Amino acid sequence: MSKIIGAVEIGTSQAKVLIGEVSESQTLSIVGMSSRANEGMRKGEILDFRSVASCVHSAIEAAEKMSGTTIDSIYLAQTGTHLQGMVLRGSANVSSSDGRVTLADLQRAADEARRRQPADGRSYVHHVRMPILLDGRPVEDPVGLIGQKVELIYWSIDGENAAIQKNLDVASSYSLDIDDLILSSVASSTIVAGQDVRRAGALVIDMGAGVTDIALYRHGNLAYTGVISVGGDHVTGDLSMGLRVHEPYAEELKLEYGKALPDEADSGEEVWIIGNQTIGDRKVTRKAITDIIHVRIVELFEIISKEIGELLDPKEMGGGVILTGGASKLPGIEVVASKVLGVPVRKGNFPVGISPEIAKPENASVLGLLHYALEDHGLPGETKKETSFLGKIGGLLGM
Amino acid sequence: MSQDNFLDMCPTYKSGMDGSHIRAKVIGVGGAGIYLIDGLRFDNFDAVDNLALDVDLRTLSDSLASNKVSFGRRHTRGMGTGGEFALARRAIEEEKDLLRKQLDGVDLVFLLAGLGGGTGGGVAPVVARIARESGSLVFAFTPMPFSWEKSRHAQAEECLKDLRKHANAVVPLPNDSLLQMGGDDATALECFAEASRNVSRGISAICKLVFQKGMIDVDFAHLNRAFNHRAGRTLFGYGSGRGQDALREALRSLMLCPMLHLPDVSKAADTLVIFINGGPGMGMSALQTISEEIRKEFKAGEHVVFGAHIDENLGDQVEITVLGVTDLGPISSSVDVAPSSGGDILNATSPTKSSHPSRLVAGPAKKPKAEKVSAPQKKQALGVSQNTFDFMEDGNQRGIFDNLPDRNLYDGEDLDVPAYLRRGVKISV
Repeated sequence: MSKIIGAVEIGTSQAKVLIGEVSESQTLSIVGMSSRANEGMRKGEILDFRSVASCVHSAIEAAEKMSGTTIDSIYLAQTGTHLQGMVLRGSANVSSSDGRVTLADLQRAADEARRRQPADGRSYVHHVRMPILLDGRPVEDPVGLIGQKVELIYWSIDGENAAIQKNLDVASSYSLDIDDLILSSVASSTIVAGQDVRRAGALVIDMGAGVTDIALYRHGNLAYTGVISVGGDHVTGDLSMGLRVHEPYAEELKLEYGKALPDEADSGEEVWIIGNQTIGDRKVTRKAITDIIHVRIVELFEIISKEIGELLDPKEMGGGVILTGGASKLPGIEVVASKVLGVPVRKGNFPVGISPEIAKPENASVLGLLHYALEDHGLPGETKKETSFLGKIGGLLGM
Repeated sequence: MSQDNFLDMCPTYKSGMDGSHIRAKVIGVGGAGIYLIDGLRFDNFDAVDNLALDVDLRTLSDSLASNKVSFGRRHTRGMGTGGEFALARRAIEEEKDLLRKQLDGVDLVFLLAGLGGGTGGGVAPVVARIARESGSLVFAFTPMPFSWEKSRHAQAEECLKDLRKHANAVVPLPNDSLLQMGGDDATALECFAEASRNVSRGISAICKLVFQKGMIDVDFAHLNRAFNHRAGRTLFGYGSGRGQDALREALRSLMLCPMLHLPDVSKAADTLVIFINGGPGMGMSALQTISEEIRKEFKAGEHVVFGAHIDENLGDQVEITVLGVTDLGPISSSVDVAPSSGGDILNATSPTKSSHPSRLVAGPAKKPKAEKVSAPQKKQALGVSQNTFDFMEDGNQRGIFDNLPDRNLYDGEDLDVPAYLRRGVKISV
């Protein structure tokens, strides 16, 4: 029996929906996909609920139509600067008489870790489990091993209820259940940074239109996540102001001539602002365009560097820095990032087997959602939740 | 037609409108305000007085202003406030009578104050309030500190909010934008001088409108009524052109004016003053076309104050100055600034007064803004009584991030403000 899963990302510039079909042999194929321009959001937060809801609903409808199926529950990506991550720890003494760790011990440790409640008006969005420590040593699966104390560590993300609720309402107003809320940066990471890369240590930077999501992995585990309230829209806004043009033209100039790294030739090159021989059109130097973009991008990576702080250790970053998201398409951005961060930076690749129409940086999050749904995130040995029966195998997605 | 001599074309030229009974005062407060006042160049404005106001005796004694008043000696012993605006505010509140005397009979106040400084930030809102109470129309030009002056910047924002409650129009002049003002290789001093020239142009445009006879004139009552409501964001810009197509050239240069392309500048104006100053070659029909285009560019509402003067000295040159405000509705009745003299434009204080056309879509014009609540605007609309963010409700008029209620602060800097402005990177267009 195959199962249909849905992934929804309500992004600042576009709402995206993917529908995947997981066969009995645990291979996943994408059977439906659509995206719709989203007008009601700024910087990852919903301003105009009705406009966002109708945009998401129309995207879901289109994806359902394409797939010939319907979905009744979804994985929903979460972003926004209201989200905050922190480390939660819980431990338990091994209770069995033979000194072997049981699932019950793990459960007790997990309960203790999650006992800490977020501040008033906030709720947990996502708990990401980090390594399990048995008497201080990291182990994959301690159940059955001999020891005295198990310790569980979670990277837990909480967010403002009001903001989360708006996202949930968008789904529930289309009568959809939520399988899980997943942090956008974590979703993107699962697709552009394979497990080997995460194990070597990597920083994934998903540069969206509204916000930039970051996730840092050490030894295969999540060590930090963050959301920076700067995205591709800021580049457009800066261009609009700096070149004194309306935003739609600024956006076109960005896509056509934008690059992150200025070079000598830019001063000599002039481009038309509107470009269709409109009266009142004028020329600007390409240098003006690249200068405006360059300072913005440099600043963004400086902020990222400041946010991550000491965790940004080149020795622990064997997997490097991986850029994805729509705004990462800016030519030269990896060079600027590398200069600022002081570690090698590359643009993210997608696993083979995903059709080129889908395998684009702006789809990293929504693709990652499906990918994430296939991975097992429970406790080892735990009876898997309904959604986890999918197991760890994803043929088409190249897991 | 456009080549016709303006004198024959101009019905109002000899209509005898005369601003001689109007009194104006330029008040510079604190270091930056006094720097601006010293940079002003006025000719032929007998009715414009100036006043330099500071706690710092040294700044005052260095100033060229003809009328200087020090205050707060008890608090600072003649030195500066050291950036403490609460101190300056306390000091000026004790000198209210002195201020009232200075403002007695003044119809038009230009208030110049750097809001990042203790004196400017603390005193300007008080001066504006007292000026309004004594019946003046108050225009404020306020230099704002650089983004990297973090704590000063936050303080200046507070003072700006406060000042906006009292003044009829507040034009913030962010230091961040200074670099964009001068030429490609302008020095810092030249940039400051250019900023000061801009303020000078704004003040002199309004003064010429009110005090001098011109081709198309406006009387003070007209101006007063146009601005007689709570002002939100402002726009202020200047453009000049010369040669055959000077007017069009000036409009093009106006639209590129860096002061119109800053984060907090309104893209539309419910009330707009357009002042065109040109040489004798300026033709009437061209003037009309250009004024129409300017209205359109700034999506001007019904309150347009248009004036045009001929200045023989300008030759084939034309200068355009615009000053506009978004309108937050009628001012509170406790402050009555409407003059009794004539004026034939629509009654600006009437509750039926319509606002910017794009806002009318949401409901009948009579409906007060505070009641106009649609889903995305609820937060802002409810904030009417709490802060001044209600002027941001019309998102699509302005920049991408302008309709957000909160600043995007990171480490004291607003990340929604273009990075090139905050980092001082000169962009040539």
